[in-house]
Order: sequence, then C-alpha cells, then structure tokens
Amino acid sequence: MIHKLFVCRARGTNPYENLALEEALLHRVGEGELILYLWQNERTVVIGKNQNPWKECRTALLEEEGGHLARRLSGGGAVFHDLGNLNFTFLMSAGDYDLPRQLTVLERACQSLGIPAQRSGRNDLLADGRKFSGNAFYSHAGKSYHHGTLMVDVNMENVQRYLSPSKAKLAAKGVDSVRSRVVNLREFVPDLTIEHLSDALISALAEVYCSDMNVGTSIACPPTCDPLQICHSARSEESAPATPVLPLNVDELDLRALTEKYRSEEWLYGQKLPFTASVEERFPWGGVELQLDVNEGVIRAAKVYTDAMDDTLAPRVEAVLSGCAFRGEALKSALAGICLPAEQEGQLVSLLETAL
Amino acid sequence: MAIPNELRYTKDHEWLKEEDGVAVIGITDFAQNALGDVVFINLPEAGDEVVAGESFGDVESVKAVSDLLSPVSGIVKAVNEELIDAPEMLNSDPYGAWIIKVEQVTDREELLDADDYETLCAEEG
Repeated sequence: MIHKLFVCRARGTNPYENLALEEALLHRVGEGELILYLWQNERTVVIGKNQNPWKECRTALLEEEGGHLARRLSGGGAVFHDLGNLNFTFLMSAGDYDLPRQLTVLERACQSLGIPAQRSGRNDLLADGRKFSGNAFYSHAGKSYHHGTLMVDVNMENVQRYLSPSKAKLAAKGVDSVRSRVVNLREFVPDLTIEHLSDALISALAEVYCSDMNVGTSIACPPTCDPLQICHSARSEESAPATPVLPLNVDELDLRALTEKYRSEEWLYGQKLPFTASVEERFPWGGVELQLDVNEGVIRAAKVYTDAMDDTLAPRVEAVLSGCAFRGEALKSALAGICLPAEQEGQLVSLLETAL
Repeated sequence: MAIPNELRYTKDHEWLKEEDGVAVIGITDFAQNALGDVVFINLPEAGDEVVAGESFGDVESVKAVSDLLSPVSGIVKAVNEELIDAPEMLNSDPYGAWIIKVEQVTDREELLDADDYETLCAEEG
C-alpha cells in the first residue's frame, strides 16, 4: 500500500546526471513510498543494459553532432531523447510495484489531454497504432522501477539517423532492438507542451494513488529537483494539518559517483560482450576487408584481407589495430602511426568510421 | 510451483546448494515465473569475487533487467556458459540450470529452508 507520494523533476538535461539521480532515488525509496521522477535529456541515444552500442547507434555521428550515448539499467532497446521527449520513472519497493496501476496513470494522463492511448502487448503505449511511449523495467534487491519515454515533439529525422544500422556487419550477442513505428503526441494535440503533459501525469498520479492514503501528503523533492506540491489526500482535507514538505534526501556523494559511472567509457563501451565487426570497400589501389574482434571496447584481433600491391599493408594495419580502443580518435591515431600515403590513410580511416 | 527440499533459498528468490565447500547458485521456479521469458544473462567470470547481498550479474526478460544477488561471499569457481547461448534454460529447468559455483565461501546471507521459502512465496503471491 502506497502511503507517500513524491514527485521529482530533474533540473538539468544531462543524461548521465539524470540517470544517476534515477538510481539514487531507487536507493532512497522506502516501503510504502512511490516516487514519480520526471526528466528530460538533451540529444541522447539511450541503449538498454545489455545492448551493443555499435549495433544500435551511429556512435560516431552522434558524437560528432554533440549528442550523448547513455546506457540505462533497464532492459529493452535503443531510444532517442531530445527536449521534445519527457521521461517518467515510477520507483518503489518490489512489494508496492503494480504495473497495471502505473500504466493506468499514464493512460489517464493521456486521456485527460485528448490522446487516444492504448497499451501494446509489450507494455508500450500506442496512439493510432503507433508508439509514443517505450517502457522498460529494472529491479534490484527488493526495489523496482518502471520508466519510459513520452514523445511530444521529438526530432524524427534524428531518430532515423542515429538509430539506423551502420554499414558494418556486426556479429554480436546481446539484446537487439525491436523496430517500431513511432509518433509524436503533437500529431494528436497540436498545442501540447511538456509542461501540460507533466501536469497531467501528476494529476493522474494523485487521482490513482491518493485514495490509498489516510494522511495529508506532500510531495517532496531532493535538492537537485524543483519542488512540487500536488497531492492532497481525499480523506484529510480539513482535519489533518498540512504536512511539511518531506525532504527526499539523496546522498550527494552517491549521486556524484553514479554520474561518473554513467559517463564512463567502461559503462558505455566496456561491456564483456565479444563481437566481430567487418567492413569492406574497394579503392582504386585495391579492395580491403577488415575484420575486428572487439571485447570490452578494445580490438583484440584485427584481420585485413586485401588484394593491394603493397603486401606489407595488411600486416602493418593488423599490428596497429590490435589492442587499439574501438573509438574514432584512437583508430585515427593508430593508423597515422604507420606512415601510409595520406590518401590511403584517409580512405582507411573513413572505412573504419563506417563501423562506429 | 517446485521447491525442492534439499536446497536453501534467499528472500530474493535464489537457490543454493553446498557441495564439498562449493556453493552452487541459481534462481528459483518462483523467480523464473515472475520474470517471464529470459532472453539474456550477464555472467561473471571464473576468479571474480562475489559479495553476499551484492549483484553478480543480471538476467533480462522482455525489457526487464533483474540483478542477480549473491547469497554468499567468495570466489567464482565456474559459470554455466551454456546459459549464454540458451538463457531460456532458466525458465525450462530452473533447478537444473545452475548459474555460478562459488568457492572459498566466507560469508552467507540469511538462508531459508524449503518450508519457510514456500511461506515467503505464498506471501508474495
């Protein structure tokens, strides 16, 4: 039974800080408490816990255009966030977890805005048969969260560009994304804003959960969030004194350490999931096929097949690529180290970049 | 739902069997049923240290990741690599599909016997 509701809105739009706050809130949530966390990320591709970033996302393109790659704790596939998207997270003890009820909050919020929302078989939300909310789940030591996207006015061109497969052939284990047709809620409600949607979610939360409560309830926020005070118990309007805003103490050190984890190369790229990337191209001086065995973000073995006249090319390229990080800058400087003709070096760098 | 008598259980729905100082660990029938179809497992490597009550890997069912918590502290002796290619064995044979074996066990979580575990499952329904 939920007896305390909290609403938190992240102040910033940095995905690593926002994911850190989400995890810190999960550490913090107690039995009988429910936190609704609302947050937005600037230009970010977020992949599922067990996904291969190179398989799901054009990492080099995203980085070049100032975007972020982030990995979340929950499962499922890759999604694109920008400021046209609102993320929600319901956090609580496993015993208080009630997915149908949480989905009801989302549906009611949508209905109150005139959006014809329906659940899909994968617990996503659809309107007119197209997905506007992808949902995923995480549980750890008796605590759980359910989170998802709500696409209000996301740049669809970027969704296509960043989430399109690269030219490389990738043989990899891990969880693959399931492609869906997506839609922005603005198509149904042209003047919808993130603010409207947030307010509708908070009202729906109060409607669905406040009947549980028999004491006056305030909504409290950790210091990194904007305070919101929304929920009133149905049964205590006059009799109960106003409860002061409860501090939702999130440990600052915890938060900082978690931010560093989410930002780290190790978390993003260093997964112990070996895979092989192959790319090929024909150049005026010969055809080249590169086969790279990658694990924990590092090329463990490189194989070069070429019919180029220079028979030292293959062994030299193999030697510098083995042990090199599978990242744009590192690959570039590795190839620069073998003094190839400038044009050939540029062509090989471009070829490698198609795999990123 | 199966709860074999000879095993010990954690409140987080892992089972444990100790053979010659080696702890064999898996997830219970209740756990696999609650998870639904497991599509992926993250395993530690032999030689890694595990700590009682802390995560040693995770399983992913449809869009849901659940951390696996170790009931003991010790050193991973072996991991069941068959599960990497066939994680669905956790659903079809939860007590046969062991996940890790831990040696040099120094510490244990509070463990339940089959009767107490059955009561816990009934409470969580």
